Amino acid sequence: MVLLEIKHLNKYFGGLLAINDVDIDVQGLEILGLIGPNGAGKTTLFNIVSGISKPSSGEILFKGKSITGLKAYEIAQLGIGRTFQATTLFEDSTVLENVLTGFHMRYKTGTWEAFLHTRSARNEDKTCRFKSMEILDFMGLLPLKDEMARNLPHGYQRILGICLALATNPTLLLLDEPATGMHPEEVSNLITLIKRLRDSGITMIIVEHQMQAVMGLCDRLAVLNFGRKIAQGMPGEIRRDKEVIEAYLGTE
Amino acid sequence: MLRKCISPNASIIKFIVLLIVAIVAVILPLLLQNPYYIQIIIMVVVNVMLAMGLVMLLSSGLVTLGCAAFWAVGAYASTILVMKVGLNFWYTLFLSGIIAGVIALGTGVVIVRLSKLAFTFVTIMIGTIVYLVVGRIEFFGGWGGIVGIPKPDPISLPFDVIVNFTARTSCYYLIIFLLLVNILVFYALYNSRIGRAWKAIKLNPQLAETLGINTNRYALAAYIIPAVFAGIAGSFYAHTFNVVEPDSFGFWKSIYIQVYAILGGVNFYILGPVIGSMFLTLLPEIFRVAHEIEPLITGCILLIVVIFLPGGLLSLPQYIHGSTGLEGKQNVFLRILRRKKR
Repeated sequence: MVLLEIKHLNKYFGGLLAINDVDIDVQGLEILGLIGPNGAGKTTLFNIVSGISKPSSGEILFKGKSITGLKAYEIAQLGIGRTFQATTLFEDSTVLENVLTGFHMRYKTGTWEAFLHTRSARNEDKTCRFKSMEILDFMGLLPLKDEMARNLPHGYQRILGICLALATNPTLLLLDEPATGMHPEEVSNLITLIKRLRDSGITMIIVEHQMQAVMGLCDRLAVLNFGRKIAQGMPGEIRRDKEVIEAYLGTE
Repeated sequence: MLRKCISPNASIIKFIVLLIVAIVAVILPLLLQNPYYIQIIIMVVVNVMLAMGLVMLLSSGLVTLGCAAFWAVGAYASTILVMKVGLNFWYTLFLSGIIAGVIALGTGVVIVRLSKLAFTFVTIMIGTIVYLVVGRIEFFGGWGGIVGIPKPDPISLPFDVIVNFTARTSCYYLIIFLLLVNILVFYALYNSRIGRAWKAIKLNPQLAETLGINTNRYALAAYIIPAVFAGIAGSFYAHTFNVVEPDSFGFWKSIYIQVYAILGGVNFYILGPVIGSMFLTLLPEIFRVAHEIEPLITGCILLIVVIFLPGGLLSLPQYIHGSTGLEGKQNVFLRILRRKKR
């Protein structure tokens, strides 16, 4: 089943063509690696899919429906979560509050009930608090739940970023360089976590520079260079692809 | 150490403090026989309501410098409706809140989409426009304002009790009641997921958006709700002091409301405005400062607080416990102390 389909996507920044006629499809329950040299347009692509910036032309289909041009919060409500390349958290809130904020759109009680603190609203609040703790437990951050987010070590902050995205209950998760600045032990821990997330039913697109992590984790890879998709396929095929090797090592 | 001792009984202590505050609020007019003092306290409460509204908008990360505008809208709407249309005060009290809310909705739909800085500037413009409209147009009384606004109509309660609002004391109880409603509404909002969404928008709007929070709609709510209460406060103000004039709703009023909020501490959503406006209004009265140098004193107090206690007066306990009011920003005072040690 095709979960996400990107068709003929273009994005101009002024005169610069940052995304050039890109077609990518993501199958349900796969981990798709998105790789390419710096400035290849990987983060731009993420920003377009998650609705932070608008495409110049082209179409994005999620579960068969067009999400092109929707606002970021609408796309999030449809079930696409994302993390950011730079650590992005509510730094002045506790770890638990951070995750709880991610639950915002999953509340079923209305605004008035929330305002009047009716019994159902209070119960739901309790349930969400409990679910937040479950997520933190799953990702191994539960002992730190009352810590300020800004005081966490960098590796934990990256994982908290993923927890926040998980709180929105995404079907598709976009991870923008999740392993940045982690040491090898943390990276292998992260790989186990991501595999467990896939087993729990989340499809993922991962932008990552650490090749070892990418090759071990991803079912398929898509390679971008200067905004153009130059290859898509199994990790083994990509490794042997002539154009990919040229993009990474340069031509003679 | 101290905090540990308090924490098990914190809720009991909170309850006792609230009880004492309630009793003091009820018997205050009996203690202060002088109507002048009661008038000052009424003004303090009106300021508290306005400053609380400002802090609500601030809790979603937006700064307004025109919050006196909706206060003026409420005051003028109520005055016109009572004096020219002939409605009962008790209807106009709520109507003026609704009118202020509708105007906030109309302007807010457009301006919450702007950047933070642009939003602030547009609020200044809205404040100025309201000020000029009521001053320039003769229908609103011109620069001289409207005088002789009738007192709130008497209400008859069951058992043949009739409450008159000719005396300051009954006005005092009315505004205390309005303040109580205001506090309860705001408290309920802050402690629900709505308040959490505001905080998320303030801390990181882009992240809030990717978590599915409609940032524009929540910012709009934080703009409209305070406007409604400011409108109600305006209606009360007009009929209690029997006069409205453009100069009492000008830019300086907005600045003063800002000062009350900052002085009390902007991270204390309800207590901050209460302490801030009480402190700044009562201090000059207690020391009987001349009106000419009052702004000077206010400015000095504000400077001292902003530099040495950036979290506001209420962050003093935290400061003593070793952390500054604003997390992450090192306190200037501590820095000066450390420099001296070297």
